[in-house]
Amino acid sequence: MAALSSTFRRLRRRTAAGAGLPTPEDRAQPVPGDEATPVDIAPNDPLLAYLQSASGAVDVEALELDSPALAELKAAGVKLAVPLVSQGELIGVLNLGPRRSEQEYSSDDRKLLDNLAAQAAPALRVGQLVRQQQAEARTRQRFEQELEVARLIQQNFLPKQLPELSGWQVAACYQPAREVGGDFYDVIPLTDGQVGFVIGDVTDKGVPAALVMAATRSVLRASAQRLIEPGAVLERVNEHLCPDMPAKMFVTCLYGVLDPDTGHFRFANAGHDLPYVKTALGSVELRARGMPLGLMTGMKYEERETLLAPGDSLLLHSDGIVEAHDPQGQMFGFPRLKEAVARYPGGGELIDLVLADLHAHTGPDAEQEDDITMVVLQREPARGDSPNGKVAGELLIEFEVPSAQGNERMALERVAATVGPLGLEPARLRRLETAVAEATMNAMEHGNSYRADRPVTVRVYAETGRIRVEVADLGGARSAPDQAEVPDLEAKLAGLQRPRGWGLFLIKNMVDEARETGDGEHHTVELVMHLEPESTQGADDDDT
Amino acid sequence: MAEATATFDVRRTGTAGVVDIRGDVTAGSEDVLMKAYESAGDVTAVILNFTGLSYMNSGGIGLLVTLLVRARRRSQQLLAYGLSEHYSQIFELTRLDEAIGIHDTEQDALAAAGAA
Repeated sequence: MAALSSTFRRLRRRTAAGAGLPTPEDRAQPVPGDEATPVDIAPNDPLLAYLQSASGAVDVEALELDSPALAELKAAGVKLAVPLVSQGELIGVLNLGPRRSEQEYSSDDRKLLDNLAAQAAPALRVGQLVRQQQAEARTRQRFEQELEVARLIQQNFLPKQLPELSGWQVAACYQPAREVGGDFYDVIPLTDGQVGFVIGDVTDKGVPAALVMAATRSVLRASAQRLIEPGAVLERVNEHLCPDMPAKMFVTCLYGVLDPDTGHFRFANAGHDLPYVKTALGSVELRARGMPLGLMTGMKYEERETLLAPGDSLLLHSDGIVEAHDPQGQMFGFPRLKEAVARYPGGGELIDLVLADLHAHTGPDAEQEDDITMVVLQREPARGDSPNGKVAGELLIEFEVPSAQGNERMALERVAATVGPLGLEPARLRRLETAVAEATMNAMEHGNSYRADRPVTVRVYAETGRIRVEVADLGGARSAPDQAEVPDLEAKLAGLQRPRGWGLFLIKNMVDEARETGDGEHHTVELVMHLEPESTQGADDDDT
Repeated sequence: MAEATATFDVRRTGTAGVVDIRGDVTAGSEDVLMKAYESAGDVTAVILNFTGLSYMNSGGIGLLVTLLVRARRRSQQLLAYGLSEHYSQIFELTRLDEAIGIHDTEQDALAAAGAA
């Protein structure tokens, strides 16, 4: 009924003196003088139903209906209302005032009017349809132009080329949906050879989303150069975006900084889909907490770090993949993407294979629902690794230690027994043992809360010229909370620090390299001891 | 609380109390070590004998800091001997060696404490 009512309302301006096909000029500039006051007819007014079923011209004055519109017509001096019906649908009414002769309308007059109505109605209908189509075409054209603008903005702000990083393969893909969503990605060269990687998604589509995306990208680029730390960068971007963000819009964004030399990837996440890392052991999600950008000021963004080992691949992606539906309405989903990352090779090949899976899922004729964006960072396998990147050094042993007081001795002894034949000199072996014991203690206490059902996993790798031990817990905490400060004996003796809190300090000082990584599920401490001591005193590694 | 994994036997030698440590010194050793320390009574110096130490972790180091605080409050010297090279290094790293006099033998420690 709504369509009828809108059509009808447009025609209500035809008055007793001015009935006929509407012209655009009529709408823009009502003719003065003869033009009566328009009568508004509500969609639920009984007059509509009456006119629709009337067999011909209706004598308005004689009609008795509980109808506000009828009352208005009477007040406006309308004598006859001639319904214009085309294919059973009321498309307009001819409203006639009194005859100029001031005589009543005769039955001949009425017949003439009925004939006129019968002929005018289809013509009027055609006119209405033509106008409707023209309006739709204009809307479509405006829409297409807007899409083109959005596309231009979007594409102008995507990287023109990807960086060439020694030992790394970087690949990206961006496929806009027809309605251009707000996806974007960026690669930002930073100081010391570090590289920032961004993937984001603005809610909404079209030009508004593209403009917010452009603003986000600019602020992020500027902040990244000054701040480096991903959490601080997102915090700054959020503060900049909040004041001017249009209502109901926000931006999800993941920002990470890669050190191509070491493979360390520090990242923070403002509510964006979790990236996946393909490791030798499968694929893991990289978790870091944070609210989307532009919602609220004063937000903090958790910062995490992971190590991309030789052969590992990192996939940044947008929700256009996991939220793509098949013809039955089933989403592609996170588990499937995670599994694809685990199964497929990394680099550009991963992108192609995921896209192929996605197209198989949605079907060949499906229109892409949302933008699809992927960025893949692959660390090339180290020399000597098998070509599929499955092996990063030889895993000598992997074992679990139940989280219970004193069990660090168990880890220490097994690592010592495993490493024994490799020829590490005894003093250095003792140092590695202490580091393993301390890392295991921290993992049992801070990561696993000394819960027996949460074991610590220890892995020992023999790599070229070095031994690498991983101690992983299930806590995901970045480091032991009571060991954030550097222990100072004087401060402890003066009661300014607690007597305890030496663990992390010992770990860092016992081995050649120590670092912490977290993938959201596991927190891992990595301990590296070179078989030959380094010529310089390189025990103090500030890497962590 | 963790089980005590070390024993601390106290000997009185002159004006010093010598604590013979055997086993693992960890956070779980706190009660036993502090009892041993109290049982040494009114001494001018406490000498820790580490020759029987098999393992000490960061919890054990924290315990030594606590012990050091108490000894200082009572104006007692704290000394140690019999540390392996590894634990000597850890004492240096943590600068415990600056607060606890480190010696090779019991005789050296007693002499340093003026208690021989």
